[in-house]
Amino acid sequence: MTIPIESAGQTLSPLGASTPEAVAERFAALRADFDAAAANIADEAAWKALRDAWAGRKSGVLTRVTEQWLKTASPALKPVVGQELNRLRAHIEASIEARRAAIEAGADVLAATRDRVDLSLPGVIRPVGSRNVIRQTFEEIERIFLSLGFAVVEGPEIETPYYNFEALNIPEHHPARDTMDTFYIETPPGADPLLLRTHTSPMQVRTMEKQAPPVRIIVPGKVYRRDNPDATHSYMFHQVEGLAVDTDITFCEFKGTVEHFVREFLGPAIKTRLRPSYFPFTEPSVEVDASCFACGGSGCRLCKSSGWIELFGAGMVDPAVYGFVNYDAKRLSGYAFGLGVDRLSQLKYGIDDVQLFFQNDVRFLRQFA
Amino acid sequence: MKILYDWLKEFVDFGLAPEELRSRLSLAGIAVEGLEQTAAGPLLDVDLTINRPDCLSHYGMAREVAALVRGNLRPAESLLQGKLPQSATSAADTVQVEIQCPELCGRYTARVLRGVTVGPSPDWLRRRLEALGQASISNIVDATNYVMLELGQPMHAFDLDRLAEHRIVVRRANKGEKLRTLDGVERALSPEICVIADAAQSVAIGGVMGGATSEIGPASRNILLESAWFDPIAVRRASKDLGLRTEASMRFERGADPEMAELASRRCAAMIRELAGGEILAGVIDVYPGRRQLPPLELRRAELLRVMGADVPDSEVQAILGALGFQPRRVDQTKGNPDSPLAVWQCRQPSWRQDVTREIDLIEEIARHYGLDKFPPRLHGSKQPAARLPHALAEDRLRERLIGLGYREITTIPLVNEDEDALFRLDGVAPVRVKNPLAEDAGLMRSNGFVSMAHALAWNLNRGQRNVRLFEIGRVYEWDGARPRELRVLSLGATGHAREKGPFESERAYEFADIKGDLDQLGELAGGFRWRASSVPWQSAAQSGQIALATPGKGDGPTIGIAGKLATRVADRFKLRQDVFLGGFGLDPFFAAVRDARAARHYQPISRFPGVERDFSLLLAEGTAFSSVREAIAGLGIAEIASIEAVDLFRGKNVPAGKFSLLVRVTFQSHHTTLTETQVNAFWARIVARLEEKLGAALRTA
Repeated sequence: MTIPIESAGQTLSPLGASTPEAVAERFAALRADFDAAAANIADEAAWKALRDAWAGRKSGVLTRVTEQWLKTASPALKPVVGQELNRLRAHIEASIEARRAAIEAGADVLAATRDRVDLSLPGVIRPVGSRNVIRQTFEEIERIFLSLGFAVVEGPEIETPYYNFEALNIPEHHPARDTMDTFYIETPPGADPLLLRTHTSPMQVRTMEKQAPPVRIIVPGKVYRRDNPDATHSYMFHQVEGLAVDTDITFCEFKGTVEHFVREFLGPAIKTRLRPSYFPFTEPSVEVDASCFACGGSGCRLCKSSGWIELFGAGMVDPAVYGFVNYDAKRLSGYAFGLGVDRLSQLKYGIDDVQLFFQNDVRFLRQFA
Repeated sequence: MKILYDWLKEFVDFGLAPEELRSRLSLAGIAVEGLEQTAAGPLLDVDLTINRPDCLSHYGMAREVAALVRGNLRPAESLLQGKLPQSATSAADTVQVEIQCPELCGRYTARVLRGVTVGPSPDWLRRRLEALGQASISNIVDATNYVMLELGQPMHAFDLDRLAEHRIVVRRANKGEKLRTLDGVERALSPEICVIADAAQSVAIGGVMGGATSEIGPASRNILLESAWFDPIAVRRASKDLGLRTEASMRFERGADPEMAELASRRCAAMIRELAGGEILAGVIDVYPGRRQLPPLELRRAELLRVMGADVPDSEVQAILGALGFQPRRVDQTKGNPDSPLAVWQCRQPSWRQDVTREIDLIEEIARHYGLDKFPPRLHGSKQPAARLPHALAEDRLRERLIGLGYREITTIPLVNEDEDALFRLDGVAPVRVKNPLAEDAGLMRSNGFVSMAHALAWNLNRGQRNVRLFEIGRVYEWDGARPRELRVLSLGATGHAREKGPFESERAYEFADIKGDLDQLGELAGGFRWRASSVPWQSAAQSGQIALATPGKGDGPTIGIAGKLATRVADRFKLRQDVFLGGFGLDPFFAAVRDARAARHYQPISRFPGVERDFSLLLAEGTAFSSVREAIAGLGIAEIASIEAVDLFRGKNVPAGKFSLLVRVTFQSHHTTLTETQVNAFWARIVARLEEKLGAALRTA
C-alpha cells in the first residue's frame, strides 16, 4: 500500500511558503491527498497502513509536518501553520476513526450474513412414516361410531357358508349369491366347507348369537369377492359392517344415524338421500346416496350428472335374521349397514384406481401422512 | 331391463315426463340407470334388484308407475280385445301334455295354431323389439318375444310337425342325454335338468332354451305354443350348469308369475293369428300341478309404526297397496275410523309377487312408495359404553412409534403365490389354499407377512424409489389341526439409505443394526426384546436373529419374531437388486406384553447425586458377545452401577488379528451419596480384573 503523498512523504519539502494564503494552499493539498488515500480503504490492514502513514507517531505525515513545517516556520507564519496543522490533525484523526468504525461495521455485516441461516434450505429431515389411507378411513369411521356408543368387534376372514350366507337369509341357490362370487377354501376330504367372507356381515350373526340385546357394533375388516381386478374392482377390499338392535329402534333412528355419519364423514353441507333397494338380510333395504361433493348437486362427471353419489347399502334388519339367533322379532328391531372403506376413501380423496391401495407405491403412500 | 316409455302408457295413465319418471322410479326402488331416445320413443334402462322379477316386463313396470301416481293399472285381460277366435277342432284332441316332474315344472300350457304363414314382422313390431335390443327373427318368434317383454311370461313356439306323436312330456333329462339348443351348441344334460320332450326325444331345456330340431322355420305351418312355469331353483341350477343364461332363464330363476301363463298364451296366440294368419284350435291344454292357494297377509298399523317410527295415513296405505295389487281391506274393530292406531288390513298376495309373503314385506312396499324422505331422522341414545377393540390402544402406540421411526404403513391383499410364500414359511406351518383362485399367483392365503412385504419393496425399487421403509399390520393364515387360524403380525421391510445426503449430513446405508434398533424401540413398549441367533433359509446367515419377549423376572419369554437381511437367493426371486432387511413379530403375544408392561409401570426415583462415567477400552477375542461383557460386569453385584453401554466398536489398525476392540462405558451412581474418586477407582479395578479373568479381556492403553 502506498500513500501517494509527495508533499508529505520523505519528499515532504520544507514549507517554502511565505504567505498565509500559500500556507493554506499547501495544507489544502495535503488534505486532498489524505482524502484520496482514505477513500480507498476497505479492510483492516489497509486502514492500519493509512493510520501509520498519516498519524504514526514516529514518521507519520502529521509528525513530519510538525517537524518540518511548524518548527521551521517563521514566527509570523507560525500561528497560521499551527492553526492549519490543528485543523488537518482533527480532520485526519476524525476520518481515521470514522473509517475504523465503518470497517468494523462492515465486518460485522459480513459475519452476520455468513452466519445467518438460509431459511429456504431444508432443515435436517429425520424421515417419518405415514399411516395408510385405508387405515385412516377405518379410524375415521370408528371415531364417528364410537361417539354414538358403538363397540368395535372383529371376526374371521375364513368363514363358514352358514355365517356368510344362510344365517343372513341367503339360502343356497339364492340369486344374491351371484352378486357375491365367492372364494372357497381347500378343506380336507369330508370336512365342512369354508370360504373367504364376502362381507363383514357374518359378525352380525356371531355377535347376536353370543350377546343378548341391545347390540350396537361395528365390524371393520377385509372381505373377498371373486371379481377380476380393474380400476373399480379388487378381489379383496375393506368393509365396516354396522349393526344396532334394540326394542326401540325404528327406520327414523336408522335414518338419523346414517345422516349423522355422512355429515361427519364428508362434511356438514352434504345432504343424504335414501333410495329403496334390496338385500336379503335387511328390509326395508336402502342405498345411501350423498349429494355430490364435487359439484354440490348440480351434476358433473363424478355423479354422472345425477347430483348424487351412491355411498353404501343399509337397511332395517330383516326379521328372518333374528330367527337364526333366537332374538324375538316381534319385540326387537334394528338396522345394519355395510360401508365400503376403499370406495369411501376413493370418493373422499379422488382416487380413481382402486389398485393404488394395494400397490403401496411410496409416492402414493406419502400423500396421506 | 329396458323399458319403452310409450309402451307403459298403454297400461296406465300418468303425467310424468320421462326424466321425472326416471327420478320417481329410482326413489321408489326401481333404479333407472339411463334414459335415451330411440325410434320407438324414450327408453329407460332399468337396473332391477333381484327380488323384483315382476318388473321384468312393461306391464309389471306399469304397475309400479300406477302405484307412483296412485292411479289404476289397466287389467291385463283388456289386451285381448274380446274373445279369442277359435276353430271347432279342440287342441286337446290334437296334442297331449304330461308333466312327470311337477317339482321342476309347476304349470304347462299348450295352444295349437294351424296353417300359419311364417314371415317378417310388421314395422311397428320390429321397431319396438329392436329398440329393446331384441333382433327381429320372424313374425312367430317375434310375437313370443313381444309377449314376454309385455307381460313377463317367457314363451316358446314349437314346430308341431316335428314333435313326435304330437306329445309333450316334461321330465328330468336322462343321464347322458344330449340336446342341440337353438344356438347350435350341443349340450350334455343331467337328471337335475328339466327338459321338454316329445314321444321320442327332448326338444327343449325347460325354462332355458328351445332345441334346434323343433325350431320354427320358414316352412313351419303348425305351431305348439308353450307357456309354462318352471321352478326358480331348478332353472337357476340348469342355467349355471349349462353356462347358458337367457331372457327366459333370467325370468324363471327369479320367479315368474304362474298365473300369467295362460293369459299370456292367449295374448300370444291372438297376436300370431293376426300376424301370421291360420287358425287357433279351441281351448288350451293346461297342466297345473303347482297351483297354490296363497294365504292372506295382514298389515297392522302398530307394526308399521314399530318398524318405521312414523305414521302413514290410511289413504296412502290403501292407494299404494291397491295399485300394487294387494287388495287391502280394513278388517279391524275400528274400521269406521280412518287412521286409527288399531287399523289392520287384510291383503291378498298377488301371484306375481312371490317376494311379498310377510307383514314386513308389505311395510317395505308402503315405505318405498310413500317416500323414504317423509320419515324424519332421529338419533337414539346408547345403553352401553362405546368400546374399541381390546388391543386398540397397544396398536395405536405401536403404529405411532413405527411412523416416528420412519416407516410407512401399507395394505396388501393376503392372497399370494404359493412358492413365494414357501420361501418365508416357518417349518411345520400348514398353509391355507383357495380352491378356486382367480390366478395361480393368488391361490394361497399367506402364511407370513414377508411375502407381501417383499412384493411391496420390489414394486417401489422397480419404479426408482430406492429408499423405502414400510410396515404392515395384518393377518396371516394357517391350519391349526382341522381349523383355520388367523394370526395378527407386524412386518417391517427396509432398503436403501437410512439417512439421505443433505446440506448438513452425509448419507448412510440402512443396515441390520437399523432394523434391530427399530425393533428394540418397539419392544420397549412390551417390556423389551431379547435377541437370539437364528437362521431360517430366507435370512442371510451372518445378519439374522430372532426376537423373544423379555418378560422381566421370568427369564426370556417365547420367541415371537425374527429379523434379518434377505438372503441373495431369495432377493433374486423378487428381483430385489439392493440389500433388503425384513423383520417382524406376532402381535397377539406382543399386545398382551404391552398390556402387562403398561400395568406394571411404576415410577423409579431419580438420584439427586451425580453419576460418574468410566470408559473401558477392551481388546476381546472375536466372537465375544457384548452381552457376556455386560453379564460379567453386572455379575459383580456392584449396586452403584447405573448402566453398562457399548459405545464404540473397532477392528483393524493397532488391533491384533483375531481380536477386536470394544469401548464399554459404565456409569456409577448412588442414591445415597456422591461417589468419591477412590470408590470409583476401586469399582474400576474390580471390573478390569473380572473381565480379564472371565473373558481374557485386555485393557487397551491409548
